[in-house]
Amino acid sequence: MGELSRSTIFFSDQHLCYADILSPSQVRARIEVAVLNFLKALSSNSPSISDLSLISRNSSNSRVSRGLLTGDSWIFLSHSFCTRSLTKENSAKSFIRVWKVMEICYQVLVQEKRVTQRELYYKLLCDSPDYFTSQLQVNRTIQDLVALLRCSRYSLGIMASSRGAIAGRLLLQEPDKEVVDCSTCGSSGYAISGDLELLGKLTMGTDARYIIMVEKHAVFQRLAEDRVFNQIPCILITAKGFPDIATRFLLHRMCKMFPNLLVLGLVDWNPAGLAILCTFKFGSIGMGLEAYRYACNIKWLGLRKDDINQLIPKECLVPLKPRDLQIAKSLMSSEILQDSYKEEVAAMVQSGRRAEIEALYCHGYDYLVKFLATKIVQANYL
Amino acid sequence: MHEGQESKNTCKMMTGEVERKMERKRLNAQPLALIRKIKGFTRSIVEGLARGSAPLIYIDRFRNYCTDTSGNCSGLPAGKEAISLKRECHARRLDVLLRVLLIVQQLLQEKRHGSKRDIYYMHPTVFKEQSVVDRAINDICILLQCSRHNLNVVSVGNGLVMGWLRYVESGRKIDCISNPNTAYPIPVHVEEVNDILSVAQYVLVVEKESVFQRLANDQFCKRNHCIVITGRGYPDVPTRRFLRLLIDKLHLPVYCLVDCDPYGFDILTTYKFGSLQMAYDATFLQVSEIQWLGVFVQDSDNYSIPQQCLLPLTVEDKRKVEAMLHRCYLQREVPKWRFELELLLYKGVKFEIEALSVHSLTFLSHEYLPSKINNGGCLQLLGWWITSRQYHIRVEAEH
Repeated sequence: MGELSRSTIFFSDQHLCYADILSPSQVRARIEVAVLNFLKALSSNSPSISDLSLISRNSSNSRVSRGLLTGDSWIFLSHSFCTRSLTKENSAKSFIRVWKVMEICYQVLVQEKRVTQRELYYKLLCDSPDYFTSQLQVNRTIQDLVALLRCSRYSLGIMASSRGAIAGRLLLQEPDKEVVDCSTCGSSGYAISGDLELLGKLTMGTDARYIIMVEKHAVFQRLAEDRVFNQIPCILITAKGFPDIATRFLLHRMCKMFPNLLVLGLVDWNPAGLAILCTFKFGSIGMGLEAYRYACNIKWLGLRKDDINQLIPKECLVPLKPRDLQIAKSLMSSEILQDSYKEEVAAMVQSGRRAEIEALYCHGYDYLVKFLATKIVQANYL
Repeated sequence: MHEGQESKNTCKMMTGEVERKMERKRLNAQPLALIRKIKGFTRSIVEGLARGSAPLIYIDRFRNYCTDTSGNCSGLPAGKEAISLKRECHARRLDVLLRVLLIVQQLLQEKRHGSKRDIYYMHPTVFKEQSVVDRAINDICILLQCSRHNLNVVSVGNGLVMGWLRYVESGRKIDCISNPNTAYPIPVHVEEVNDILSVAQYVLVVEKESVFQRLANDQFCKRNHCIVITGRGYPDVPTRRFLRLLIDKLHLPVYCLVDCDPYGFDILTTYKFGSLQMAYDATFLQVSEIQWLGVFVQDSDNYSIPQQCLLPLTVEDKRKVEAMLHRCYLQREVPKWRFELELLLYKGVKFEIEALSVHSLTFLSHEYLPSKINNGGCLQLLGWWITSRQYHIRVEAEH
């Protein structure tokens, strides 16, 4: 809470709702409170079955916060609720599902263990076959529970994997362990753990000037192998595709700890690549209550339409897929996307083509490093 | 028990032979040797052209299985493919091959690595498709008799390892023992791994990352001195090479835990026999010592897995199983595995490893795995015999 009030001057985000990272005992306490409240309502003088009020996770409840003196802006969910009620026919089952998942999470936390989403699905399938039919339903119910108890999925005891990796001029130290130098971690880099509590306790030190977020694993591996951080003082970070919470959390922490570092994004030239960049930049509401929290002010380094026109030969461009067009549409209609980004999306759709970062290799192997260096020096990023 | 001992001895003999073969191949596949071979190959084509004869190249055709169920096929190259300029598709193939060869030569001379995608982007108008480049790289590996990584063509690594293992990679010490429940990425450049040190008693290969996480959460490696590896689905080349290296150096038993479904079985055979794609390199990628630990069809009865966890086989699943049943190596080398596959088709249901955690989260780590491993792993002879009798009786009754 303290961190939050420091970041905006006018306290315009008093309505901000977020999911806490809590210890198992705290989550158990919240579950116990929920149960006690329910029982109290049931056994009161005028008994009633209380509805579950969950923070609604749709675009009507999302707000944009634009930093006034900082470049940060992010979307957040406000205090608008949707209810799951036992008395209403269409949400009765959802109501019960939330309690069922809460029960199992409680048991898991008492055992001091963790469970994967798949294991949770099988357990629910066996214990309550009438209410759970698919993995997707289980996942949605977990998001409901996160919205109800306002704690992160990981705090509920659900295992999270992280695909993220980091390399470059960064020193990391886990509590009571040795210092890890990410520039000597080889081409696979330092694997980012899925444990947010652990990531929160890392001590970090750096002499880099930039953080470069790379969309794809192959490009990250190539840059790490070529030791680009010896030529450009930077830290490389990748989520190997769509960013997971842990990678975003770590990037967010680094931004807060080293505010002078410039964060740049290197993605493919297609709507999906831009969507990945925007998830780092603004967060996403679709992914539930905790997903928007770790936004950071990342700038779009490449690939952009000028690069496509000047550097990529026509043969390297591939047609857009229908999914790309869908993503482009939702990007264009988003209120938070700046105009310069929307122009780029329009150019993508108009040309009907997309290009991968690897296409730059047609100019030679060391071209990518030169490309990055030139762009950084020219401050050519959006 | 007795069978286990025998197979261990054969394993030791086999690994000695494979080690010698690998040593020879390693010497022949050093960058300088390969550059010489590339130059020799090109020279022979140029000399042929100077004499007025069109180039004719023979490429061995490798398959690690065929659908000939008579059992007459062996694992050796099945004939040669002749590529000449007479046919247009061959001419194109030759053009692509020579271009890729040039790029590979540059990679070797400059001591750089590249991915298959990077190579594609060097001449996208000529190549037109990624698959064309992939085939050219395979052809070059066969012609130069080396593995893909010898050409400095690499891919991203996807595997994870944890447990009682310590090794050195490119001068860096990786000490998995200090955090026995943390996953470490499997190194991509397996040739730079040495000084492998381990006090593990066995290696456990699991199909999925979620099972790997379950074992980590249960602190499996703390209670059991072992190494756990996952390829996160179909294992990539670095994972298979790393596993091969561990077995060559440590001579430990290897157990494999996959889902009881067609894809699990396919992944198991990829580990044991290699994939069709990389058939030319199968000797160096396959881990024939691997034993199938589970999950078996009978386990659903033996461990009272609830009915809801047993999913019916889809039409594609059945098609896949029937296709796999035709693979010649199954009947020849692992008839028990083939029988299990038939049983899967017969029962018509599949289930995942996670179904075992339904009654108790720690069941997999505390009971299932230790009991399977301590009982000599894999298919227990008596159980198999009884089930096979039941199966044959049922089949006879049906006809």
